[in-house]
Amino acid sequence: MALLSADSRRDFEIHRYPLLVYALVPLAALVLQAWLPRVTSPYDWFDLPLVVTVYFALGRRNPIQGTLMGAAMGLFEDALSHHAIGINGIAKAVVGFLAASVGIRVEVDNQIIRLLMNFGLSLLSSAIYLFVTRFLLNLPIEWSWLTELLRAIGNSLIALMLFPLLDRLHVRD
Amino acid sequence: MESFLSRYRNLVVLLAILVAQIIGLAMQVRRTSAGHSTLDADDQGVRLIRLWANAVISPPERLIHATKLGVVGTWSNYFDLLHVRQQNKELQQTIGRLRLEQAALMEDARQGQRLQALLGFQEKYIYATVAAQAYGSSGSDRSHVFYIDKGARDGLKPDMAVITADGIVGKVRDVFPHTAQVLGVNDPTSGAGVILETTRIRGILKGDAAGQLEIVGVTEDQRIKAGESVLTAGGDLIFPRGLAVGAVEKVVRDPDRDGLIDIIVKPAAHLDRLDEVLVITSTEPRFSPQQQQDLAASEQAAASDPVKASAIMAETLPGLLDPNLPADQQPLHDTSNPNPASRPPQPLQPDKYSPGHAYTPPNVEPDPNSNAGVESPKSQSAHPIPDGAGPPASKAAQPPPRQKDQ
Repeated sequence: MALLSADSRRDFEIHRYPLLVYALVPLAALVLQAWLPRVTSPYDWFDLPLVVTVYFALGRRNPIQGTLMGAAMGLFEDALSHHAIGINGIAKAVVGFLAASVGIRVEVDNQIIRLLMNFGLSLLSSAIYLFVTRFLLNLPIEWSWLTELLRAIGNSLIALMLFPLLDRLHVRD
Repeated sequence: MESFLSRYRNLVVLLAILVAQIIGLAMQVRRTSAGHSTLDADDQGVRLIRLWANAVISPPERLIHATKLGVVGTWSNYFDLLHVRQQNKELQQTIGRLRLEQAALMEDARQGQRLQALLGFQEKYIYATVAAQAYGSSGSDRSHVFYIDKGARDGLKPDMAVITADGIVGKVRDVFPHTAQVLGVNDPTSGAGVILETTRIRGILKGDAAGQLEIVGVTEDQRIKAGESVLTAGGDLIFPRGLAVGAVEKVVRDPDRDGLIDIIVKPAAHLDRLDEVLVITSTEPRFSPQQQQDLAASEQAAASDPVKASAIMAETLPGLLDPNLPADQQPLHDTSNPNPASRPPQPLQPDKYSPGHAYTPPNVEPDPNSNAGVESPKSQSAHPIPDGAGPPASKAAQPPPRQKDQ
């Protein structure tokens, strides 16, 4: 129960990072997301921009910042693809908002919480992508929920390894 | 109002961002009269946001790719050098053989050109290409695009075909100053006209959600077998005709339409592991200077080495070489005649129809009393052989037809 309570001061601690980290980590995530599939294909079941969005949203605990960061990351991803620009932007804006909103209420430094958050938010992002493409825009899309499930698992595992590394970068009082 | 905004500030910002993006999406997507939605093509150029994203992501991505190539290249070069002499020797032999084959093929192509000119049809050949390195992707398995390190400054334009030595790869979509985005043939939104090499069945090639190539909406045909080659048909005005696409992997029923099948194609090019590609920047109904130079060299080589040419022809002809026999016992060197011409049996009573009997026309004197051009019964009886009834030798020995008297 202590995991989910917001009573302790630690739960309200906001992680702060050097400005360079805010610029370079999202950029690195976007660059690696574009480059790694050439090496790992067809096993490219990961979404690094989503993992980074979730990390900063959880750490900053500011829904507006989470929303803006998610939207920016999603728009960049859309711009690199040949699809309509804004689909990933919407999905990741919602993910950033929810991650930051949840981060206010739960103990986000716990690894299990992080794993579950990444898994659930990855599936939510996929569902929003599907909804916007198929139902809002009525665009043809071929879909495999198995792939989305594998991607959610991949994101969770990457988050397990990446979050402790990124934790070392935040500024301690 | 102010308290409402401050109280629900987070939600208001989220809604504002979502609404802005939905409006942006609505401006990019059109609804056709048939009720389908289509994405607005960037006909007027590249959207600024794509340009910005490319400008931000491309430099570090190219740096990573160049670093990887450098490391891999240094490592592999060391091992390559160990066998380079032997490989060089083998390659020289291959070049010599290919030159001779090219000379023969080019002659066929020239003949084809002449025939096409007679028919008023012009086949287009790959005239100029630009070599490029593939260095990045879209980062999403829903969008099978990749980026190459050549752009508008190198003469690239949208809808140019991108190929490798193995087969077709895709077409140029967005062109940036120094880079370009290529839409892979395995993307669901791509399309290429293809033809099955043996059965000559045509279809449209596209990708599925998993990035697998398939020819969709083909009428069911029992002749289509796994392994059959698939080539470009040349009707899409992007890919020249006859380029390799892949091979039929399997045939499945179209889940949506009865009586139709989808042909799953195994790509000839390694679409997941692309490094160097060629962009076809120009197609012309004639050979390029480089091809003509190669042709001249091939013809020169063929003329100076006829023995080699005959050996190559012997290799390509079936049945002349038996791999199980030593070189001196090959059927090609066997001078004995395995099928001596048998003499026909001699007739018991030879006549003018017998083989070898040369027909000698009787010495017919023209009848001064008969009409010109009309044979007398006597002369008719002297030519009893009906048309086509006699052996060729007899026919050849017949007198020429009589000329009409003037």
